[in-house]
Amino acid sequence: MSLFLHYLSMPYLLGGIELTLEVTALGLGGGLILGLILAGMQLSRFWLLAAIARAYTVIFRGTPLILQMVFAYDALPHIGIKLPAVLAAGLALACNEAPFIAEMLRAGVLGVDRGQVTAGQALGMTPRILMWRVIAPQAIRTMIPAFGNEAVSALKNSSLASVVAVQELTLRSTQLASSTFDFFSIFFASGLLYLVLTFAISVIQLFVEWLLDLDRAKDRTKRRQRKLADYLPWRRVDLTTKLELAEATVADPEPVQAEPPDTPPLALTREERTRRAATIARNNIAVETKDLTKSYGAQKVLGGLDLTVRVGEVVALLGPSGSGKSTLLRCINHLESWDAGTVRVGGRRLGFDDDGKLLSPRAIANERATVGVGMVFQQFNLFAHLSAKENIAGPLRWVHGMTRIDADRRATELLERVGLTHRADALPRHLSGGQQQRVAIARALAPNPSVLLLDEPTSALDPELVNEVLEVIRRLAIDDGLTMIISTHQIRFADEVADRVAFLSGGAIIEEGPAHEVLTNPRNPLTARFLSVMEADKTPEAVR
Amino acid sequence: MERRVLPQISHHARRGTARTSLPWRKVALGAAIALAAVAAAPLSAQAAAPAACTALQDKYPDWKGKTLVNAINPHTPGYETIDPKDPSKYIGFDIDLGEAIGECLGFKLTYKPVTFAALLTTLAAGQADIVISDIYATKERAKAADFITYSKVFDGVLVAKGNPKGINGINMSMCGAAAAENTGYVEVPLIQALVPECKKAGKAEPTIQLYDNNANCIQAILAGRADTYVNDVNTVDSAVKAYPDKLEKAIAVTIPYSVGIAVPKDKPKFRDAVLAALIEVQKAGTHMELLKKHGLDVNNFKEPDILTAD
Repeated sequence: MSLFLHYLSMPYLLGGIELTLEVTALGLGGGLILGLILAGMQLSRFWLLAAIARAYTVIFRGTPLILQMVFAYDALPHIGIKLPAVLAAGLALACNEAPFIAEMLRAGVLGVDRGQVTAGQALGMTPRILMWRVIAPQAIRTMIPAFGNEAVSALKNSSLASVVAVQELTLRSTQLASSTFDFFSIFFASGLLYLVLTFAISVIQLFVEWLLDLDRAKDRTKRRQRKLADYLPWRRVDLTTKLELAEATVADPEPVQAEPPDTPPLALTREERTRRAATIARNNIAVETKDLTKSYGAQKVLGGLDLTVRVGEVVALLGPSGSGKSTLLRCINHLESWDAGTVRVGGRRLGFDDDGKLLSPRAIANERATVGVGMVFQQFNLFAHLSAKENIAGPLRWVHGMTRIDADRRATELLERVGLTHRADALPRHLSGGQQQRVAIARALAPNPSVLLLDEPTSALDPELVNEVLEVIRRLAIDDGLTMIISTHQIRFADEVADRVAFLSGGAIIEEGPAHEVLTNPRNPLTARFLSVMEADKTPEAVR
Repeated sequence: MERRVLPQISHHARRGTARTSLPWRKVALGAAIALAAVAAAPLSAQAAAPAACTALQDKYPDWKGKTLVNAINPHTPGYETIDPKDPSKYIGFDIDLGEAIGECLGFKLTYKPVTFAALLTTLAAGQADIVISDIYATKERAKAADFITYSKVFDGVLVAKGNPKGINGINMSMCGAAAAENTGYVEVPLIQALVPECKKAGKAEPTIQLYDNNANCIQAILAGRADTYVNDVNTVDSAVKAYPDKLEKAIAVTIPYSVGIAVPKDKPKFRDAVLAALIEVQKAGTHMELLKKHGLDVNNFKEPDILTAD
């Protein structure tokens, strides 16, 4: 025991820790840089880069670290690269860690909800902004436990640097054991030293997790004292185990006065409709698709679709699932490519240069932002790591270069308009579906788009939440005169709000015309059948 | 470049024990101090060396004032280990002999600890300038390096107390036994050569367990995993001294090799310089003194020879 303590406190062994940490730091730091490059290559749209990265991964993940150490130390000098031992070991460890870190990064990036990525694109975010502001912050949070693992494994792997004469903890232990024959006291001591180091990494990992815990900010505002128990590994912030937190987040009743004042159903009179139609007919064309064609393999999704929408017009797209409604909307702001035909928004071919050549993703993003096509999705697609207010203000700053003050003012204004000022600081997951969709609408409206595309905005909502969202959309159409294209299954809503409905089937418009006329007196038998099915489905009062 | 790698070995660099900055920076400083010390005190150094050494330094001036890297496998008590009292230093016969040669030619040595099997690889990769680490000079190894032989070889057979398997050398008594050996040791092929003989005699074959240092081989016997470990007799003696209740030396056997200093094949001039210096060191009686100082058998003494592949 006294021997054990003697070796535990021996400056010679303690000095080895420094080199152990140096090799580990080089390995992790270099591995992170290399891993970022590798992950970037693997996620790249250029197949050659992805193939090179894949080959690297196969080689360096598939060969033992000890061979890589010896290679970096003994083979590289033969081609003129003679690195000092610590650097050679650090290089080998970095090359070895890189593919593991790259896979972690890739998993983290791919793990971020695709819908949020699409929403970011629709808001005009370039790939870089999207990565930096939406994907990375969420991916990093999910990757921290894996990073902790990787750091511990790198620390232990650094002991292999002993084979290339780096005087780290393991090499010092074995040399000491050879000269003193105190085999076990020495190895127990160095084992304990490793344990202390790996424990320190665990503590750092938990601390970082705590720092990045999105619920922490909320707790602070509620002045909730965190207990030490929360930091212990078996306690994680989890709504299923923390009833009080779950309660606090779910039950946040909406103050009645914050709701938009109840307006009576806004069905326009026939006279008003005629007047409105006449005004719109004189307006400029906002969106125009010509002979739009698209197939997924053998499956034709859009078959030469023509659609013209004028400024201030509200068009409802109706039709069974798979009729091409969503695809049409996604083509309009070029979230999807198509095979033939043209799409013009405000007279411009979004996503193509003057010669009709396809632009880079970055240039398309910039164009989306300048042309101004807002989009609202069935699944809301709010940025999960940002508060309601930041979901609106963030893109204004990142895409449109607004100052923080202006962006916040605009966000507050829009939250007020959708009746959610009291939930400004709530995270999306703490909002109801209806509230989330209202925030999503506010976010889409924030940059003052010229056209708003709504892709089944109420389909994912519980029936009792549908009306609050429809009410917001209704007011946009009638009070603000916003140009909108809505794909929906809400027949009555289409009747009340839309100027025109277009009925899609098999990727083409089979019938279109003034909303009330088509809905009450369909000419095409397919339209009639669809409408009667929808009528039969819906219960008397609920809109669905 | 290399002497910047292992600061902790250079005495100058180690003097400041609080190692807070990056090592290579400190090492560079240490190396600078070392060089400065050498440059500043050439007179006293030369005065201490025999006149013959002064002549050698004139004849072979390339290494004078330099600091060379000596790759060692510091797991052989008596020859080369770290100093248990000050683990930043290496001690042993080979260490002292190397420094005596260095003193004669005017260079200093720093040390690079590697596994036994990596000694010649490290030399060939240019990561070390010389290997003085109780390595037996064989024709096979001479393909990788040139040797200057300096010591006869007597091997001891280390066994558990009481020699339960009755092993008495690298012979038929080893049939069916488990031998612990260092990876790359010359004893390995000698034991392997017993396999067909044992088979022919209808006995079980000997098995070999390969470890990467001396201490692990000794532990293998202590743990009952191996029956014997054949190595340099002095190493065997020191193991018995450390565990007198558990180990014993069965017998000393003669092995037809010499111990050699390994130098790169492409530096014949350096090889000749080291040979000449070793002769002077032996003439001055230093070699014999060092054997006595480290408790080694004086019968190990051998006049130097060159062993190369051709």
